[in-house]
Amino acid sequence: MQYLLMIYSDESLYAPETKTDPAVLQEITAGHMRLGAELHEKGAWVGGDRLKPSDTATTVRTLGGVQSLHDGPYAETREQLAGYYVVEAPDLDAAIGWAKKIPGGPNYAVEVRPIHMM
Amino acid sequence: MSRDAERILDEAVRAAGDRIRAALAMRFRDLDLAEEAFAFASLRAMETWSRDGPPRDPAAWLYSVGRRRAFDLGRRAQVRNTAVLDEPAPQPDPETLLIAAFEPIPDERLRLIFVCCHPALAPEARIALTLRTLCGLSVERIARAWLTSEVAMTQRLTRAKRKLRETAVRFEIPAPDAWGERLETVLATLEIAYAQAYEDAALASDAADLAAETLRLTGLLANLLPDEPEVLGLAALVRLTEARRPARIDAAGAMIPLSEQDVGAWDRRLIREAAAHMRRAAELGHSGPYQLMAAIHATHAARMETGVTAWGDVVQLYDMLLSVRPSVVAQVNRAVALGEAETPEAGLAALAALGDEPRLLTWLPYQAARAGLFAKAGRDAEAAEALRAALQLQPAPAERLFLAGRLGALSR
Repeated sequence: MQYLLMIYSDESLYAPETKTDPAVLQEITAGHMRLGAELHEKGAWVGGDRLKPSDTATTVRTLGGVQSLHDGPYAETREQLAGYYVVEAPDLDAAIGWAKKIPGGPNYAVEVRPIHMM
Repeated sequence: MSRDAERILDEAVRAAGDRIRAALAMRFRDLDLAEEAFAFASLRAMETWSRDGPPRDPAAWLYSVGRRRAFDLGRRAQVRNTAVLDEPAPQPDPETLLIAAFEPIPDERLRLIFVCCHPALAPEARIALTLRTLCGLSVERIARAWLTSEVAMTQRLTRAKRKLRETAVRFEIPAPDAWGERLETVLATLEIAYAQAYEDAALASDAADLAAETLRLTGLLANLLPDEPEVLGLAALVRLTEARRPARIDAAGAMIPLSEQDVGAWDRRLIREAAAHMRRAAELGHSGPYQLMAAIHATHAARMETGVTAWGDVVQLYDMLLSVRPSVVAQVNRAVALGEAETPEAGLAALAALGDEPRLLTWLPYQAARAGLFAKAGRDAEAAEALRAALQLQPAPAERLFLAGRLGALSR
């Protein structure tokens, strides 16, 4: 069985404007490194990434079969997270192009968020 | 000398500022960098031109100095990001740069319009970014038009620029399969920007600059995309409505409705420009909402020549518009036109057919339209009631004066 572990946190913690104590951030980074190493070691690693902040998100909304773009993350609570794709795309338009091809019935949303490349 | 330098700089910025800003933005794929570089070049121009006299080609000078500045800023940012501690090369004196042959300033404005109006940005961010980047309007001016603070507008712009950067939006003309949708977004952005300028005209005396910029942008787009009929339609539409600006407000500051405006005060040059755009669009043979809206306003403009309004044509055009782009605004306007073309009762029946949802009842144009139709039908009590309802809905000062005037006339 594979499991998706989703991290929800107050992203302002990571924003440069917040001036979070670097030691705190270093500790979090080190924690991720340790966990990654342990996952690899135990053969449990499948994948994982840090996402760019939610204000870089674009949501492709499908309502009654009609698609439209919205600036910002998916914020409603009517739908639940049902799946995900990770795609390689040269630019946002290409990524949105893929997102629009994801099926989901008459009403659903796909949030497109860039992955933070180290 | 410095007054002279200032005047020449103003002229150069007016004539080529948008081109220079766009060329810098595209060259460095960074709107912030371009803005900073352009500001630097302008400042440098004031100093240098006051001292040494203006260069032969001020625009090329600004572009060349701006580009050099952007290179340096970009390199510095790179140094910061990659922590390579190479000493940056000393900046060459701008004057020595000018000895080098000028590169013509490439016209990147179309690409920049598509970037600023990217559909992944919020609509209000698209407008702000377009006015800031392409027109060089100050953040303070844009904030004033959208009734927000300069701080909030700065944040909105910063966020939009960061999103473009962080999500790797490509600074390119959209691909053919995305062209229609992307162009629609650009047109919608300019339409909303113009609607705001139009509203603003009744509120503030200095709104003309905002309208002038949207007028210029739609004209620019029509020049850059002369084979897109809807682009031409939008350019015609804003010209036709803008042509009526001088006739929209009376000496007391009250709004004058379209049908009572003095056609002698309409701007004939803008109406002629609009007609040329519409002819060209018609030759291309693909109708669309902007062309239909322009046709409606052109029918009104024809009163200038014929002395009468062909209300029947207006109704038909609204019917066509409603079939391609349904909206309550068009429904209400159609009802008003129907009230003129046929009878006020017919207009009232069309309004009644919209239902009486609370949302509609608290919508100013709806109550104003009802009031007009009731008054025309001689149903004064109902007209007065609708006028009072409209006055409750916080009309802009010019419209308030107009509505109050009508109410006063009814009770006499």
